[in-house]
Amino acid sequence: MLEIKNLHAKVEGEDIHILKGVNLKVNAGEIHAIMGPNGSGKSTLSKVVSGHPEYEVTEGEILFNGEDITELDADERAHLGLFLAFQYPVEVPGITNKTLLREAYNTIARANDREELDPIEFEDYIESKLDIINMKDEFLSRSINTGFSGGEKKKNEIFQMAVLNPVLSFLDETDSGLDIDALKVVSDGVNKIANDKNAIVMITHYQRLLNYIKPDFVHVMMAGKLIKSGGIELAEDLEANGYDALEKELVLNGEAQ
Amino acid sequence: MSEVIQRDTMLSYITGSVESSAESVAIRAINERGREALENIPFPTKKDEDWRFVDLKSITKNQFCKLEEANASALGDISEHYLPEAMNSRLVFVNGVYNEEFSSVEDLPNNVIVGNLAAHADNNAVKEHLGTITNYENDVFAPFNDAIFKDGAFIYVPEETVVKTPIHILNIFTDSEKAFYAAPRLLYVGEMFSKSTIIEEHIGLADNMYLNVPVTEFKMFTGSNVHHARIQRDSKKASHVSRPIAILDKNAEYHSYTICLGAKLFRNDPRVIQNAEEVDFTVDGLVLIDGDQIADTHSIMDHRFAHAGSHQQHKVVVNDSAHSIFNGKIFVAKDAQKIDSFQENRNLLLSDNGKVNTKPQLEIFADDVLCSHGATIGQLQDEEVFYLQSRGLTEQKSRELLVYAFALESVESMAVESVEKLLLNEVIKYTNRDNK
Repeated sequence: MLEIKNLHAKVEGEDIHILKGVNLKVNAGEIHAIMGPNGSGKSTLSKVVSGHPEYEVTEGEILFNGEDITELDADERAHLGLFLAFQYPVEVPGITNKTLLREAYNTIARANDREELDPIEFEDYIESKLDIINMKDEFLSRSINTGFSGGEKKKNEIFQMAVLNPVLSFLDETDSGLDIDALKVVSDGVNKIANDKNAIVMITHYQRLLNYIKPDFVHVMMAGKLIKSGGIELAEDLEANGYDALEKELVLNGEAQ
Repeated sequence: MSEVIQRDTMLSYITGSVESSAESVAIRAINERGREALENIPFPTKKDEDWRFVDLKSITKNQFCKLEEANASALGDISEHYLPEAMNSRLVFVNGVYNEEFSSVEDLPNNVIVGNLAAHADNNAVKEHLGTITNYENDVFAPFNDAIFKDGAFIYVPEETVVKTPIHILNIFTDSEKAFYAAPRLLYVGEMFSKSTIIEEHIGLADNMYLNVPVTEFKMFTGSNVHHARIQRDSKKASHVSRPIAILDKNAEYHSYTICLGAKLFRNDPRVIQNAEEVDFTVDGLVLIDGDQIADTHSIMDHRFAHAGSHQQHKVVVNDSAHSIFNGKIFVAKDAQKIDSFQENRNLLLSDNGKVNTKPQLEIFADDVLCSHGATIGQLQDEEVFYLQSRGLTEQKSRELLVYAFALESVESMAVESVEKLLLNEVIKYTNRDNK
């Protein structure tokens, strides 16, 4: 489904190189977790894949279902089924959740020659998704993220994911800032959305998220590269010994640069 | 011997004389007063503080003539500009001249007067208040209107009367061969505990040059209440200089919302004067300009007695090389305690060449008041655009939606559904013009 080959990216217009050769393959039905210390490039990777104009790809390519999407705009990638749950969801006063989601849903439907939903059909559709994230009806008519608590914003991201039903989702530190109850609700939501046709890539600092959403693969990112991949045991190892130990081990094995 | 430098007056920019031809004695007296002031008060230049930033070339580079000499087009069907809520509570003025045929006031309570000033010149309220409320020191535009108006709109709402139907004052301007001047006038008298909604609209049907100088006077008696929407959609070549003023007695409420969409030059000086304790007023504005439009608002919220609540939200969107100027004065007199006044000016710049000048100005002489103000100038945030785009919306649509959201709040205050719809359409037209 997703194949990232030797991806290098820098901040547009500046000499700040962040991604330095990322390789990643994600198949349908898989859940991946990317872990790594601050500044390793995890968030940047999710932004580059979703088409943030702040970054420029200098080398390598991003293939989505075989198509090179490296040059596509963010909305075109969304039309193909990519989704990014933001680390810091943006507040947009004056536009309700419902307005945004109907516009988004129908734009994606149009781009894929699927039928659009009229306001009444959409109302039914969107209300059927509220349960996934344990959300109240009134949430729909509130301005996007405006005055939301940190937890509500993160829940809203997963709600949007449920409504737009993407093929591949990047969750950028969706767990950060959540208390344990909110974390359970958000994780529950993600687990309900995950199926054998879609895929999810979680980006996180903390192993605790992985107690609630079980990844098939765990990758460790450092200095702009995925330096080690494995199963859930890799995350447990990191939790026990930290990133420093891993870095030393790699140096000893001659795997790190 | 000192040398006297002769400065231009308003008369320098019009052809012919301004001798009064009004039939009514009361109107003629105001015409005369205006003419005298016009001859003596110099036309403003950039050296005058209140005119520092505004480019007045669209007036000073021209000569404006009387309507009769302009060869203005006759009026066609204008029913698309009627408001469904005000089908029979409407006065129409064409190029500043009252048009009885297109006006209709059948829907109003019998004791309410909505008509033209010339026909009601003998009414006591007209005799008592017309020309007495306007008070603009060293101004040439209010005197210009004073000097040349012959007619206008007159609205009188008697004691304890609530007019449920909105009253639509429709000023239509047609195409013309020559640039002409017009002086629409509106006198509103609200007796004790009366209430009404006024939609004052200025529409240019073509893109000709004209000079529109309206004066509106609102006399608000004890406990009276008015919602006053002003929609300026003049021709994009016109100059519009407005003098709307309201004076409020005890417990009166005056809420005004000015929407600026048209005109090459728009200068608006709304003033609300507190004439007794415990009043409540709003002086909101929404400005959407592009091309080389200039929109300049100089407002005064004049608190002279204790216990007033006042509010001003002035929102501006600037595109291309348009220029917005805002100077919002809040005055609080020495003994005017317990004033709660709030002013906010938010500017959204959509282009590199657009320009915004903003100057909140608080002059407070009382010591127990709550007055705040704020001004922001910003662009659409890349992160906001990316957020919407990542959800599948095109970049263009994302930007439109963000500008729409910015303007929405002001539009929602309109209180009349068809006006809200009309303005939402205008906002959409403004934001997606590049798409057409």
